[in-house]
Amino acid sequence: MIKVGKKAKLGLYLHIPFCVQKCCYCDFHSAKADKGARTAYMRALCHHLKAAAPDAKGMTVDTVYFGGGTPTLLDATDFKAIFDTVKGHFALEEDAEITAECNPVTNADGLMEGLHATGVNRLSIGLQSANDAELRLLGRPHGFAEFLATYEAARRGGFDNVSVDLMFGIPDQTVESFGKTLDTVIGLSPEHISAYGLRIEEGTPFYGMRKSLALPDEDAESAMAELAAERLRKAGYEHYEISNYAKAGRRSRHNMRYWLGDDYLGFGPAAHSYFRGTRFETAPDTAAYIDTVERGDFSALRQNAVRIEGKEQMDEYVMLRMRLFDGIELADFERRFGTTFEAQYGSVEALQRGGFLTKDGDRLAFTEQGMRVSNAILCDWLDFGH
Amino acid sequence: MAQTDRQAHIRNFSIIAHIDHGKSTLADRLLEATQTVSKRDMEEQILDNMDLEKERGITIKARAVRLLYNAPDGEQYTLNLIDTPGHVDFNYEVSRSLNACEGALLVVDATQGIEAQTLANAYLAVDSDLEILPVINKIDLPSADIDGTRKEIEDVIGIPAMDCPAVSAKVGLNIPDVLEAVVRDIPAPEGDENAPLKALIFDSYYDSYLGVVVYVRLVDGKVRSGDRIRLMSNGKEFDVVDVGVMDAFGLSKCEELRAGEVGYITASIKSVGETRVGDTVTLADTPTKEPLPGFKAVQPMVYAGIYPADGSRYGDLRDALEKLQLNDAALVFEPETSIALGFGYRCGFLGLLHMEIIEERLEREFNLDLITTAPSVIYEITKRDGELVRIDNPTNYPDPAEIDKAAEPIVRASIITPTDYVGGLMDLCQDRRGEFLDMKYLDTKRVELHYRLPLNEIIYDFFDALKSRSRGYASLDYELEGYVDSKLVKLDFLLNGEQVDALSFIVHEEKAYGRARKIAERLKENIPRQLFEVPIQAAIGSKIIARETVKAMRKDVLAKCYGGDITRKKKLLEKQKEGKKKMRQLGSVQVSPEAFMAVLKLEDDD
Repeated sequence: MIKVGKKAKLGLYLHIPFCVQKCCYCDFHSAKADKGARTAYMRALCHHLKAAAPDAKGMTVDTVYFGGGTPTLLDATDFKAIFDTVKGHFALEEDAEITAECNPVTNADGLMEGLHATGVNRLSIGLQSANDAELRLLGRPHGFAEFLATYEAARRGGFDNVSVDLMFGIPDQTVESFGKTLDTVIGLSPEHISAYGLRIEEGTPFYGMRKSLALPDEDAESAMAELAAERLRKAGYEHYEISNYAKAGRRSRHNMRYWLGDDYLGFGPAAHSYFRGTRFETAPDTAAYIDTVERGDFSALRQNAVRIEGKEQMDEYVMLRMRLFDGIELADFERRFGTTFEAQYGSVEALQRGGFLTKDGDRLAFTEQGMRVSNAILCDWLDFGH
Repeated sequence: MAQTDRQAHIRNFSIIAHIDHGKSTLADRLLEATQTVSKRDMEEQILDNMDLEKERGITIKARAVRLLYNAPDGEQYTLNLIDTPGHVDFNYEVSRSLNACEGALLVVDATQGIEAQTLANAYLAVDSDLEILPVINKIDLPSADIDGTRKEIEDVIGIPAMDCPAVSAKVGLNIPDVLEAVVRDIPAPEGDENAPLKALIFDSYYDSYLGVVVYVRLVDGKVRSGDRIRLMSNGKEFDVVDVGVMDAFGLSKCEELRAGEVGYITASIKSVGETRVGDTVTLADTPTKEPLPGFKAVQPMVYAGIYPADGSRYGDLRDALEKLQLNDAALVFEPETSIALGFGYRCGFLGLLHMEIIEERLEREFNLDLITTAPSVIYEITKRDGELVRIDNPTNYPDPAEIDKAAEPIVRASIITPTDYVGGLMDLCQDRRGEFLDMKYLDTKRVELHYRLPLNEIIYDFFDALKSRSRGYASLDYELEGYVDSKLVKLDFLLNGEQVDALSFIVHEEKAYGRARKIAERLKENIPRQLFEVPIQAAIGSKIIARETVKAMRKDVLAKCYGGDITRKKKLLEKQKEGKKKMRQLGSVQVSPEAFMAVLKLEDDD
């Protein structure tokens, strides 16, 4: 059935590559910001948005996500400039979800009011831990008190959709201390909570000291993941994705695009896009980004472009959908790929019996236990056509 | 027997020594001193021309070289130096090399004195009726005790040593003394050059252009190009292409070899398997009546399964083994299939060193990654129906109900050690089911211990334990004594209730529990967590004697997916999948080759 009148939807990801300081675990692209760099960057970003807009003709934008880096290092004028560009060149939906990531800061009231006034309607605050010792270890530039002030300022400023990022598996962290963090945050009742397991990535300060870090072992880390799932469920949060929890109707609409294979365009250095069946990315180099935009060489911003099709597309679908506890609708799988799931990936009976998968009618999904070891299972299934 | 004038100017001799006492270095100096090799061309230790030998400082295969020595008496002598392998695994080859000689230089390190292999080799030389000429080496070292060493040689071996040469091969001190002593003390060869040909094969190697090059010592008769020769052990006949002698840089053709001489024969022979060391060469038309005594086809003593870590390289492994066998008649192999490890070969070796050498050459020269199963000896099992079976592979071990009795090979071991370590070494031998025979003081500081030990205890890490308990000072020599009845059991390992054939081994009942526990623990440590809990069981028949559990995996997930970066997540999954591909399926459990080797490694943990 052709859906008449329903326009294709698009999400925009805007990368803000500035940070006050680099955290020990972070391998994301960011650098310290000075006023001059910021101005030049803002100009390039807006220019890039304008240049890309014709591609999105006929689509409506229903999510915008400011990621970083630290988007809140921009000031209200910057945000306004971006918004004007988006509104001026894209069909931004009235009720679009517009998220900005932010870090705890002091005297946040002005910032929050400004953000909200420009149109940001969802805030994602990076807390990571309610334990100051753990925050210091992570190299975070704030304590819990700054977080609380920021959170309250956000509420005062009008934000009724707030997400808090937590982390577990921090060096020296115990199941108990993570439990305290969880309880503290649950007490604040944010609409959304992300709880990520720390991974030591190459190129981060932690990587260099990985041998001396007292990282919780597999059992302890798993216990933390289990604890998060249990406490948050009891507190009324739906565990909808590996590391994401939401109150009813408060899933991150932007992040859902990633898992559902919907279109999104990324702007700024190290931004990723999936657009009309092709994945591409920009290089993780702010100076080069600005330079490329100024030269008007927009095709150079689409690096490593790969058209996702055939087996790779099928495997991606499985990898991404299975991150969600909604899992895969088997009929949808067959409709898309003309083959059954089990014909492709083998019988799931043993995994069902082992308690890793549930099959509820037409829907195949990981259980909590299965989700925690989903890599091992996906590895057996997927080869992305290679 | 009459000696010709030609024979009077020949000396055939070997150099024998304990490992590292300087045999090869002395050989180098003799080559230099006789100008067989100029100093400039001197490649260090030219006789050991395999890389591996150079690195390990040991001689694996015998080589021979002719030296022309212009003696102070104005005469020129032909000195044939026959190098011998220096390890217990190659004892038979040593004895054949010695049989090609009239005398031997027994090199003794003046700082170490007599060691186990000094004695073992000296006895071999005595058995071959050789004139033994001691040479005391390393006299340049500050800790050299020349007089003490002379006395020890006289006391322990019972040969005169008061006037023997004392040299430093390393710095080239007193080398002419050695050459003079060779001419003066070692008898010239005898033998009737008009009698039917009788020649001893003491070595052979495969050359891709010449075919097999056979090294021979002529006892009687003559041989020349065009002769039809017969190998007496197998009756095979070949037409001689060339005969000649070995100089330092290779083969040098000559018209004829005659009784008393050492040289080579080429005859388009395809495999060293046909030219076994110790065999007698004669002429097909006028054969000698009796072959030379003492020939035996060497039998492997140690067996192990060798598998390519990457199963797809099975063909490469076969090619590599075939190439090595061209030059190593003692290496045997036949295809073997393991449920756990796939296709590989059951290989037989003379001993552990031989096995290590083959493994190392396969890995280095043929660039193969290997998985080797636990080495096994040959067990003799008498079944209830009276049938005797020889088992070199635990997989073929009969059902215990069918076994009447089992026997295992026993060796007579000689250990020489400083007295300080006697207690620890006796404990070690005791622990390895050794039967104490006797103990002899060589002097106030050193002792020779004799034990009867099961061979399967020696191939399991014995040498390393010996070295570690004696800070490297103890030396070992052993010879096979025979088979004795023994309470043997086959120990199996089960993962998830399924037996893993590649992990089974045969062990003495008393040792079964300890080994079972240790291997079960190692399996637990080395098997990565799987989705499901993995029970590990060690069993004798249906009786479980040890168990461990690999807990189920609890967490293996990539949570963060920054900013829609899907590609990175895919790459990580692909990398993880690559790692999985290298895994071996042990029953329903996946184990990396590294983990498998860690489980089978011979070293004791304690």
